[in-house]
Parts: sequence; structure tokens; C-alpha cells
Amino acid sequence: MNKNCGKCIIIGLVCLLIILHHDIWNWDNKDPVFGFMPVALAWHAGISIGASLVWYLATRIAWPTFEDDEPISSTTSEDA
Amino acid sequence: MTQLIIISTYLALLLGLGFFSSKLFRGTSKDYMLASHSIGPFMLLMSLFGTTMTAFALVGSTGESFKEGAGVYGLLASSSGIIHSLCFFVLGVKLWSLGKKHGYTTQIQFFRDRLESDRIGILLFPILVGLIIPYLLIGVMASGTVINSITEGAFTTTFAQYDYGVPPWLASLVICFVVLIYVFFGGMRGTAIANTAQTIVFMILGLITFVIISDKLGGLEESTNKVLAKNPSKMIRSVDPADTESYEDSYKKWTVFAQYEYAKEHKGLELDPADEKAAIAAFPVAGPAGYLKKTRGPAIFAKKAGLLSNLSILDQNLALLIQDNRYEMPSDKGAADERISNSSVMTHHEIMKFPRLPGSDAKGLTLFEDLVGNPNDKLASGKSKWTRKKAKGVFRATNWAPDPPHGMDPWKFLTYFFVPLSVGMFPHLFQHWLTAKSADSFKLAVVAHPIFIMIVWVPCVLLGIWMTSATNPISGAPIIAAHFPPNAVLPAAVKALTGPLMAGLLTAGILAAIMSSLDSQFLCVGTMFTTDIVSHYADKNRFTDKQLITIARVFIVLIVALTYLFSLFEPRRVFTLGVWCFSGFSSLFPLILASLYWKRLTKLGAYAAILAAAISWVYMFADADYAANANYTVFGVMPVATMITLTTIAMIVVSLITPPPSQETLEKFFPQKSDS
Repeated sequence: MNKNCGKCIIIGLVCLLIILHHDIWNWDNKDPVFGFMPVALAWHAGISIGASLVWYLATRIAWPTFEDDEPISSTTSEDA
Repeated sequence: MTQLIIISTYLALLLGLGFFSSKLFRGTSKDYMLASHSIGPFMLLMSLFGTTMTAFALVGSTGESFKEGAGVYGLLASSSGIIHSLCFFVLGVKLWSLGKKHGYTTQIQFFRDRLESDRIGILLFPILVGLIIPYLLIGVMASGTVINSITEGAFTTTFAQYDYGVPPWLASLVICFVVLIYVFFGGMRGTAIANTAQTIVFMILGLITFVIISDKLGGLEESTNKVLAKNPSKMIRSVDPADTESYEDSYKKWTVFAQYEYAKEHKGLELDPADEKAAIAAFPVAGPAGYLKKTRGPAIFAKKAGLLSNLSILDQNLALLIQDNRYEMPSDKGAADERISNSSVMTHHEIMKFPRLPGSDAKGLTLFEDLVGNPNDKLASGKSKWTRKKAKGVFRATNWAPDPPHGMDPWKFLTYFFVPLSVGMFPHLFQHWLTAKSADSFKLAVVAHPIFIMIVWVPCVLLGIWMTSATNPISGAPIIAAHFPPNAVLPAAVKALTGPLMAGLLTAGILAAIMSSLDSQFLCVGTMFTTDIVSHYADKNRFTDKQLITIARVFIVLIVALTYLFSLFEPRRVFTLGVWCFSGFSSLFPLILASLYWKRLTKLGAYAAILAAAISWVYMFADADYAANANYTVFGVMPVATMITLTTIAMIVVSLITPPPSQETLEKFFPQKSDS
């Protein structure tokens, strides 16, 4: 996929997340989800999961590349 | 004492980790400040997450949801999941690339280069350090509160004024000391290792504690059902009619109580002892130590008997203000405040415009003097003695007016979205970004950050909501009373509902979250001082690497000492203070974004943006009574929205009317072949 197209998709999805984040339709809903979780919390937990999926997609279709983007050949902290 | 032993052991282990990481230290200032650009994906994720999740995420979110309800998650957590990763993606990766290419260690180095201005550093340095101090303050304050709450009764005779627990000032001091030690020994590498270890600790212990607490409360559904029955507004972002009805009833009863207390104190009202005795016996609710029975019963009798009908309008208003500890009767009654109406009874909203007198809940210590002592000792009734905190808490819950239920304003909710933009300008995150081994190292952090936020915040918010309605299964009394200090809700819940072992372990988890932010911030202020001030203005080769590290350490100690001194003053709500601090950084977000993506940004445009951000922040912070007014808004929206708007306008207008950057700078920062 063309990287510019990927960027447009990600921008669109982030805008969608922002719109869904402002869930005015849930303002007065007190019916718990799964019997215990307030809708105000469950909906936004869903937004968190959605955000993670969007950012995963971003790393696949819109990740920038740099001329000098190679790992430095030295012992890393994790290696250590 | 068990809790104290666990906390001490944890801190000792952390020091051991600091010594271990010092073995990996390569001895150069670059390694000390940036871990030689060697941090891989997992450790980058953990250190970025550990750094952004501080006392604000655990102590603040629980306390705030206790006060404001389930909407708190949407206010900051879900928006942070979107915005933080956006900042890592849009700013972090690009800044990492530029930093690696041009050898930057700090934001100011980048801005000096990009904006072709040496003096911009002089303007930015105090602003960035000044904004880090309240951020540090959040952690230092919260660590003191948490340790003190959880260690109550650890000592037999000492620290009586701190409920026989570790005093907050001492606890904060120890935490600062421990973090300083491991930052000094390990530098950025030690900080990243400690962050990773501590993030794992607080996530695992947090989840275990959540499971234990929800079980103690009767399970997930039972806990939520209690909230639905007692405080339904906490489940939503508006006000439930049942809560309005309950509040109106409670407020009406409270006004009668206020008038009775006023009449007794200032009008010489005295009930016949037999009437008083009968009134006390007739009141159905005993309350803590029978206090409600003793006070509310006679008040109702006096009202019914018409003994309060001779109070003037002014008297009635004075009664409300005095009872709510918002006013003290002057010795000369004629000098009463002009704001107090003598023509109509003031509404609760008008009463609340008067700030509460600081420390007024200390009256609880006198009122319940006989009950206060070491919580390990027993009263004649066989129950534990009260802590000083409990005495003050009972005083607040039984004497102050009930809180009116309030919803979340949709505009305020919307504009909270601007607050997490602060991540784009956090100097310590900039430094963490530069530690990455490669651009690909960011991928895991970008993807997993929102999920990690959810794992930490959802249990905290649920716990905060449940605590509004949770009761002791034996006595039926609320576990957390009304008007409870929000910062202390989490430790109080943990202490009340888990055993000493779990309480100690969870406290270690909370401290892990706090310290994993403090360490990065400590290191960052030292790095900024040596890089942006000392090395920048000193002659080349004036200082050796070793001397630079020493200078960084001295500056860190000075800033930590300053923060520690601030923490000794009157504490603010962690959440409120955090939002102000983040708002300041967010107001500078347009600058970092424009510097990376807008070629037309000029030096003077940047100066205008910084000044607009600084002036608007200082003005609004002062206007909000230095964070004391937790519900402060500007034009009905969060102040950060106005700050960002002003900064953006100033930056764009001034940039467009001033000469553009040189071709050389444009080619350096916006190369033609760049793919990004």
C-alpha cells in the first residue's frame, strides 16, 4: 500500500476515535456492562482497545522510514 | 509493622538494583544521560509507560473517580491512549531521528538549532524546569501520603501526631533519597532498568490487589449494585434524579442542624435536659460514637418546637457558613462580610463560593479527644482507637454540608482532550525517546501504551467508584466517609480491605509507580542543566565527563530539595495539580509540532508562542487560587484549551509577519528526500 494512503487511513481512524471518544449518547446510561462495569468506563476501555488496534495498523501501513534507521551495533541494555 | 518491613525491603531491593545497574554504566556522560542509544522495544515501552504513569494514575485516578465518578477514565485515560501514542508516533520517532543525526540530548538543543536562536534556551529552561517541579511534587506528596496512611499504628509511642505511622515528611524524604541514589549510580540505563522492573511490579501487584478487594466487597456485581443503590450519579456523567432527591433531603436536614448549633453558640439557646434526652433517644441513626444521635436529635426537636424561628436571615446565612467551616464569626458582629446576604437565605452554591477555612477539620481532634489514640489499642467498647485522620474525617462527614451531586460538562470533557498533549513536551520523555536503539523500537510502545493504560486505570477507577458506597460488612458503616481526602482513598481502601501483607505489597506497587516517574524527571533536570546551561555556555573542554555528571547530580539535589520543601506546605489534590502541570506542557505542544512539520515557524514566532503559553498559564493558575479551585474553567472549558489557542495564534501570526528561517536550517530539518 502507498504510504501516503496509509497515512490518510490512520488520520481518518484517529479522527473517528476522537469522535467516538466524545460519547454524549452514553452520558445518562447507568446500566452496567457485564453486570458490573459502568457504561462510561466500558465504552472508554473499548476506545483504549480501539486506539491500540489503530496504532498497530499505523506501524504496518504508515510507519516512517529514515535514512539512518539501523540498529546501533552495540550491546543493548536488554542484551545485558 | 508488617507493611513497614515490606516497604523497607522493597526500597532496599531498589537500591540493590541501582548498584547492579551501575556495573553496566560505561562512564561517559552520553551513557549517563542517554544510555548510549541502546534501549530496545520492550524496555522502551516499560520505561515510557512507567514514566507517564505516576501517582497521578494510581492515587489520583482512584481519588478523582471517588469524587467525580466513572467518567474520569474518559477524561484522561482513553484520551491518553490515543494522544500519547500519537505523540510517540508523530513526534517521538522524528525527534529520535533528528537527535541521533545531530547529537541532541535535550529539547532545548533541538529548539536552539531549529529556531536559529541561542537565547530561546534561556527562556525555555526555567519554564520547563518550573513545570517539572509541580510534576515532581505530585510524586513526592503522594508517596508521603501513601506511606503514612498504610503504616498507621506501626509504632507504639512515637509519631503520635502522625497516627503512629511514618510521618509524610519523612516518607517523602526517604523516597527522594532512594530515587536519587539509584539515579546517581545508574544514570539513564539504571533508570530504564528500574522503570521496567517497577512497572512490572505495580501492574502485577495492582491487579492482584484489585481481585482481592473486589472479592472482599462481595464481588464485581455486588460492589457495583451498591453504587447503583446509593450513589447512582457515580456511574454516569450526569446527575441521577435519585441523588438530587437524596442530596436535597440531606441538605435540608443539615441546615436545621446548622441553625441549631448557631442558636446554641450565639443566641443562648438551651434545651430542657429532659427534652434533650428524649430528642436524642428518638433520633434513629447513632452515627460514629453516637455523634449523630447526640447532635441531630436535639436539632430536629428545636426546629419542631419553633425554637429556631427567631433567627434572622443574616443569622441563618451565618449559621450555614459557620457550620460548613467557611466563615468565623467576627468579634464585632456588625463587621459581618458584605457578601453575606441579610435579605435572602443563601443557596448552597453561594455558600460554596466561600473557601473552607484551612485546617478547620482539626476541631474533630478536640471533639473526639477521648477516642483518638494508637489504632492498635482498644477503646472500652472493644473497638480500635481512632486515628487522628479518622477523627477529622468523622468531623467533616458529620458537620459539613453534603456535597451537591454534579455531572461532567460535555465541553469540559471534550477539552480535557488537550491535556495529554503534554506528553509531546515532557523533557524527560524527550530524553527517553532518544535512548531508543532504532526507530522500530518505538513500535511496541506505540501499540501497547493504550492497553497498558487500560490495565492500570480501569481497576483504579472501579475501586474509586465502589468506595463511594462500600460499607463495612460487620458495622455497616461506610469504609470511606464523605469529604474524605481524595489522595488517601486508595491507601485507605487497601488498608481497610486487605491484610497487612497485601497492604504492604500494594504500597510497594504504588511507590513503584511513583518512583518510576520521579527517576526520569530527576535525571532529566540534571541533564538539562549540564547540557543546556553549563556545557553550552562554558568554554569547550572546560569540564570533563566526570565533572559534568557531578554538576548534574548537584543540580538534581537542589531541585529535589526545592520540591521537597514545597511538599511540606498544604497539599493539593494530586489530580488537580497534575492537570495544571500537564496543561502547562500542553500549552507548548503547538511549538514542538510546528517545529517539526511547519517550515514557516520562525524564531520570533516561537518566542511569541512561549510567552503566550507562560503568561496565560501563570494568569490562570493564579486565578484558580493556585490549584485550590478544582473546578476552575475558562469560558466553561478547560483552561488548557484557551492556553493552546492563544499559543497557536501567537505562533502563527508572529511567524507569518517575520522573516522565514534560513535555507540552511530548512534543508537540515526538512530534507527533500525525507519520507516522513
